[in-house]
Amino acid sequence: MNKSVLTLQHVDKKFGHGRTAVTALKDANFEVQAGQFVAIIGPSGSGKSTFLTIAAGLQTPTDGQVILNGQPLTHQSEKQRLAYRFNEIGFILQSSNLIPFLNVLEQFKLVDKMAHRKFQQDKAKELLSELALTEVQNAYPSELSGGERQRVAIARALYNDPSVILADEPTASLDTSRSIDVVKRLADEAHQHQKAIVMVTHDQRLIEDCDVVYQIEDGLLSRRD
Amino acid sequence: MYLGLKEMQHEKLRYALLSGVLLLIALVVFMLAGLANGLSEGNRLAVDQWNAQNVYLNKDANKTLSASQLKLADKKYLTGTDIAPLANLSGTLRTTNNKLKTTTSALGTTRDSFLMPTVLTGHQINGKNQLLISAALKDKGYRLGQKVQIGTTDQKVTIVGTYAASTYSIAPTVYTDVSTLNRLKGSPITSGDQQPINAYVTKNSHFKTSKHGGLQRFSTESFINNLPGYSAQNLTLDTMIYFLFVIALAVIGIFMFVLTLQKQALFGVLKVQGIGTKHILAALLTQSIIMALIGISISLVLTVGIAQIMPASLPFAIDWPQFGIYSVALLLASVVGALLSWRTVAKIDPVVAIG
Repeated sequence: MNKSVLTLQHVDKKFGHGRTAVTALKDANFEVQAGQFVAIIGPSGSGKSTFLTIAAGLQTPTDGQVILNGQPLTHQSEKQRLAYRFNEIGFILQSSNLIPFLNVLEQFKLVDKMAHRKFQQDKAKELLSELALTEVQNAYPSELSGGERQRVAIARALYNDPSVILADEPTASLDTSRSIDVVKRLADEAHQHQKAIVMVTHDQRLIEDCDVVYQIEDGLLSRRD
Repeated sequence: MYLGLKEMQHEKLRYALLSGVLLLIALVVFMLAGLANGLSEGNRLAVDQWNAQNVYLNKDANKTLSASQLKLADKKYLTGTDIAPLANLSGTLRTTNNKLKTTTSALGTTRDSFLMPTVLTGHQINGKNQLLISAALKDKGYRLGQKVQIGTTDQKVTIVGTYAASTYSIAPTVYTDVSTLNRLKGSPITSGDQQPINAYVTKNSHFKTSKHGGLQRFSTESFINNLPGYSAQNLTLDTMIYFLFVIALAVIGIFMFVLTLQKQALFGVLKVQGIGTKHILAALLTQSIIMALIGISISLVLTVGIAQIMPASLPFAIDWPQFGIYSVALLLASVVGALLSWRTVAKIDPVVAIG
């Protein structure tokens, strides 16, 4: 039995007050384990983004608990949440979360600079070769294809050795074959590095490689069997 | 640091242009400061060279040397060491054939007074109708042994010596004894202690009794500040310089703010990944400090270069301690300018980067 890395227990998220209040998440229960690749699938406006921001510690739930590695996240200061995101969570965002003025290797170097440690060049190069990016290691994001950019983002997310990787529509700007490639890579990395990876998407075609699939609609999260 | 430096490397043109703007502002600051120093030095150099503590003027002269009328005999009211009379004539120095004409400040004092400058070529004044000239006048073509006139009288004097460049009221000085100066002025009394003079300049003195005989005592500093036009001119130029610091702050502040607005999405992404306001501000500060340092150092080099090729008639003087202070002020203005974006950076919500 694998241990659970990220758990959401009875999480509610409401925006606004009184009659205009909107419930974005209702009694959400969720769990992801190390080495699992989990997809959350749902149409836009279903509460996917809210789920991500809460799991990432960007917003606090109105009710319920987020637990990472056995520790509840509620009542953290802004500074603690920043450190939490930096150390425990790897992000892969919709278009790209790469810094435009850093080349591929420097994207990794930045992480080490921020953590005040030496650049682990071998680790970065290993990840890049794993994701077939060795040839573009000195290229800037604007010189990469959309698929390459998302692969760099995957490598960048893995580089800091986070507990969980959150991928927000990682294939939004890619065509089908590239999308499938990126998702396969995510699945491989989850299994190979024993990482918990959560992917949020609206694309039904991408769930083939997922270990667990959750459905979200109108703020209701349910596990598909 | 790393973020800021890498961005500058990648966006060389953008940051070079901004450094260029700072360079121009710094250049104007240093040029104005140099001119202000030059002008102020031109006004006061002779007074500085006296190395005196006090100046006594007629109390009704409104602190102005040329308006002050005293007599040599007024020395009786003063006691102390190094008390020197000073007579002043602002006039045109000209050769007898009118070939050379220069506006000068002619100063008369006793031949052995501490006000007399140290002679570099020629000899000290040791007889009637002799004149010492500032080195600047020698460069203009005046030479030892030449007979010259000052002012409008027919009185001729002979140049017998030169001394290190010296100016008073933006005109090169010439020195002679009190009698000769009075002859040049066309004064009816040119000998004895009833001769008119303008002031007593002293190193260490005070009034002998409570009777001051119409004299008033000033510190040299206050005397300088009351040179005609001196304070007004300094205030004008200094105000322009101070205003340039505000302009430097505004330019950096506005540019950094616009760049911050442009990069809001990027900063949001950074914050999502746990790279917070502190690091983003550090990047902005790094950039503004580097741009300021580049702009300031290049403008200092340019200022020194321009000073070399400037016509000698343009009063210009570099005061390094002052330039150092102005450089620090420009640097601080850039730092404060960059900090103006603090709130904007702090307010960027990382949630916008998701969904």
